[in-house]
Amino acid sequence: SLTRQPEEVFDILCKLGEGSYGSVYKALHKESGQVLAIKQVPVDTDLQEIIKEISIMQQCDSPYVVKYYGSYFKNTDLWIVMEYCGAGSVSDIMRLRKKTLSEDEIATILCDTLKGLEYLHLRRKIHRDIKAGNILLNSEGHAKLADFGVAGQLTDTMAKRNTVIGTPFWMAPEVIQEIGYDCVADIWSLGITALEMAEGKPPYGEIHPMRAIFMIPTKPPPSFREPDIWSPEFIDFVSICLVKNPEERATASTLLQHVFIGNAKQPSILSQMISEAQQIRKNQNHRTIMLPNSGGIKPNIIEDSDEDVALGNQTMVQCVDEGTLVPGTLVSMSQSGTLVELESELGTMVINNVDDQTMKRHDTGSERPYFMRHFDKKEAEVKQENNTRLENTDDNNEDHRFQSHYHLQLNQAPPPQHVPAETNFQRPLSDGDFEYLKFLSYEELQQRMATLDAEMEREIDELRRRYQTKRQPILDAMDTKRKRQQNF
Amino acid sequence: YMNPPRNTHYQPHSVLVPANPYLLEKIPNWLTIYFQTSAELDHKLRWDMFKLTQLDCYNAMLTRLYKQELQNIVMRYESYRSALLVEMEKFQMHRQNTRAVTGHH
Ligand SMILES: Nc1ncnc2c1ncn2[C@@H]1O[C@H](COP(=O)(O)OP(=O)(O)OP(=O)(O)O)[C@@H](O)[C@H]1O
Ligand SMILES: [Mg+2]
Repeated sequence: SLTRQPEEVFDILCKLGEGSYGSVYKALHKESGQVLAIKQVPVDTDLQEIIKEISIMQQCDSPYVVKYYGSYFKNTDLWIVMEYCGAGSVSDIMRLRKKTLSEDEIATILCDTLKGLEYLHLRRKIHRDIKAGNILLNSEGHAKLADFGVAGQLTDTMAKRNTVIGTPFWMAPEVIQEIGYDCVADIWSLGITALEMAEGKPPYGEIHPMRAIFMIPTKPPPSFREPDIWSPEFIDFVSICLVKNPEERATASTLLQHVFIGNAKQPSILSQMISEAQQIRKNQNHRTIMLPNSGGIKPNIIEDSDEDVALGNQTMVQCVDEGTLVPGTLVSMSQSGTLVELESELGTMVINNVDDQTMKRHDTGSERPYFMRHFDKKEAEVKQENNTRLENTDDNNEDHRFQSHYHLQLNQAPPPQHVPAETNFQRPLSDGDFEYLKFLSYEELQQRMATLDAEMEREIDELRRRYQTKRQPILDAMDTKRKRQQNF
Repeated sequence: YMNPPRNTHYQPHSVLVPANPYLLEKIPNWLTIYFQTSAELDHKLRWDMFKLTQLDCYNAMLTRLYKQELQNIVMRYESYRSALLVEMEKFQMHRQNTRAVTGHH
């Protein structure tokens, strides 16, 4: 199949969605008229490995695993041709309907998912990326596992290049810890996926992925936010998936015997939900079609309705989704635009404007007097000025800004510096000593809290840059050696 | 106030994906220093003098150092976060107490 150009074989109909490694399109196999899905992934290395993996995937033949038909190379892109699942992923459906799933719906989907996992695990294959986004539904409501193998393979090859850490929220503790793992790692992810379907997002889903990565192995297993609204059977099912010790975790085969799965209804109970999602999809497409030049408007939708086929790429709107964590994603998550300003504000804050009133407030615990609001406003103005003045002040002036009895405490926070914020940004915290926080107002504390993640991200970015710089010469040396070996 | 979370390692009997082979190996001092210092003198290091397997090992160790420092950053912010929370809670307590004393609703 690698001999012909893929566009001779397929007609690309429309975009279905976008993941961390590439985009997925709906396509027509010209010869047979069959509708297929094609994932296009840019690849630059280790093609042999990927091809091997795809050939393994092609051998899988289960109604519960998305069928892989083959692959093509088109310039630098790898095209992976697979079975088309008309209802999209479970996470698509949740996002479109803005609704989480009911227990019955979850049980039905989990039942098929477990059969897919049992199939893979009996063959000693680990999926490695179980989450609602990788459980696809066909139009009859049958759930199928997608992205098996390729996801893992791509993660590995990308990791060698740029330190991909994987989608942390669904990852089993032993995977994060790199202590070795096997098939039950998927069962942990399945438990997380069950919570995701019930609550709309995985546990820790709202916190920074880097924090999550360290919390998953160290904290007790997560559970339901509101345990009261779920049946004991469902809660039990999730709790035996989310056992931290992989040795004690249930397998797919035992979970298929669980009451919660035993009571699962037929896939037909999902048809209501599926047609609702389909309807929303269509309406959104119509709206986009009526606004053909909606350059600035980026509706968060997926184009997939048969009426749109004729329009082809013209109206295509991609669905931006929080995909697997790659360095790029992290960078774009930071609000570095505002970060710099806030940082310098933190540097000069309090210092000029702290007065006895503020002090008393802490001591007596009385409410901030009304008249202080006037000063609060002034304070904000002064702070603004300080920011603009910052470039022009020299070190002597700097001292004046420390003329308060807070000097000592504040010194524990790093002093403001004039170096451009780009190269040297203010660390908001000195190691372990947070005494100075006692002298901040509630608003100042709030502000620090609000910028905390962005600041952390910035430090992480800096670290990552250093790591990449330091590692590159090693990688280069390895490349050179490998090439030399091949030549002999 | 902050209980540092404890790491519990479970080693499964049979694994399909083996543990990171460099997970417990001691990282040589010079590599740590190399990672931590500025890149100015890095060109003096002749990486091509090492064997491929050694390079592979140093590469993995560098990743470990990176992850360690990542953890340091995250944990530092974690304690900063809880210190902020403690201070913010104090304000809220004050507010509540004041309301209770003055009888305002
Ligand atoms: N075989 C398929 N049939 C129908 N829709 C599909 C198919 N495969 C993928 N999609 C759609 O394309 C979207 C993107 O898939 P993709 O696998 O690239 O990303 P993802 O699963 O969201 O994240 P990740 O890159 O981590 O796997 C999916 O959310 C789904 O809506
Ligand atoms: Mg996917």
